[in-house]
Amino acid sequence: MNSISHKTNSIRCLIIDDDPFIQDLLQDKLSIYFPDIQILGTANSGKEGIESINSLQPNLIFLDVEMSDMTGFEMLTQLTNTNFKTIFITSYNHYAIKAIRFNALDYLLKPFDIEELKNAINRFNKNVDQKSDWDNVPLALSNLQSKDIPSQVLTLKTQQGVLQLRLKDIIYIEGDSNYSIIHLNKERKELISKTLSDLEELLNDKGFFRCHKSYLINRLHIISKPKSTEVTLFNNGSIPISRRKKEAFNKWFNSIGIE
Amino acid sequence: MNIKWDDSTIIDLQNVINISRDNPDRIFNYLTQFKELIPERLDHLKVSLLNGDRRMIRQILHKMSPQLQFFGIKNITTPIQRMEFEYQTMPIKELEQLVNNIITTLDIAVNEVSKIINSNFE
Repeated sequence: MNSISHKTNSIRCLIIDDDPFIQDLLQDKLSIYFPDIQILGTANSGKEGIESINSLQPNLIFLDVEMSDMTGFEMLTQLTNTNFKTIFITSYNHYAIKAIRFNALDYLLKPFDIEELKNAINRFNKNVDQKSDWDNVPLALSNLQSKDIPSQVLTLKTQQGVLQLRLKDIIYIEGDSNYSIIHLNKERKELISKTLSDLEELLNDKGFFRCHKSYLINRLHIISKPKSTEVTLFNNGSIPISRRKKEAFNKWFNSIGIE
Repeated sequence: MNIKWDDSTIIDLQNVINISRDNPDRIFNYLTQFKELIPERLDHLKVSLLNGDRRMIRQILHKMSPQLQFFGIKNITTPIQRMEFEYQTMPIKELEQLVNNIITTLDIAVNEVSKIINSNFE
């Protein structure tokens, strides 16, 4: 563990990454563009990270997703002190980023575009008084380890707080310009400030299909292969399938297997 | 400092210069880190290639990728990103060729960095 103390201000951060280049680069970028941020130190592994968090008590950590001794998610689940926020840091990796976004966690891509870094710090400042993302972390790890897709939980941030939805409870999602309405079982609905395309990206490998420009449907709730340009659901509702999507829909419907 | 590189070199030090704010110690630190870390990782990469360890090859390239981007190494991002998606499925001959090309490129880059250190700092 390398302990450094630059300044005393409201953000007290710790950098946990097993790559010395990344440690140096992030320290330099933070020092140049955010001189008020206090960099408490760096840690070279998950094990060191746990020790550093317990001894230095940061309120923000930059945490590598893939370290040699454990993943960032695994490290977080081993902690008892959770009074901090986390920004995951990762090299380009489609699957890791998708998993982070599916669990509504924050992340930055290495080697850190300065505008993205500024946005991440702004998000931290905006949410500093809200509770940490801690509750999402065990769920994130569970989602990553689970092969039972319908039981995985999608986490979405809303103006009211955090919304957690089990995938099997989502019947379909309706797009409405910059918003989406999530239709759930028991006739519940949730309005989300995400586009249908955003949600499609998160759910397209989890048994969901964009069958129409305004609809994303969950395979679990479809009764049978459609005969016309509509599909019937177990709740007796129906969803249109656009003509140009019909062939792709049939192919998807025949191929997908839900575990 | 007036460190020179041009279009004929594989590396582009603009990011290094910018973040170092012309501080020779910072520039030297980034250059020596590259000179030390990359050959070490290339050795691991060669061993992993010999062992046919696809997962480790992907992991080493993934780890190196931000530093290579930072050093502006041309034509390296696309093959590394391909490995992210295809490391399990790519035919072994193609994988060997892709990794060997990366090794060749990075050997040249390390050489260029060494020359810059020698001519500006020693």
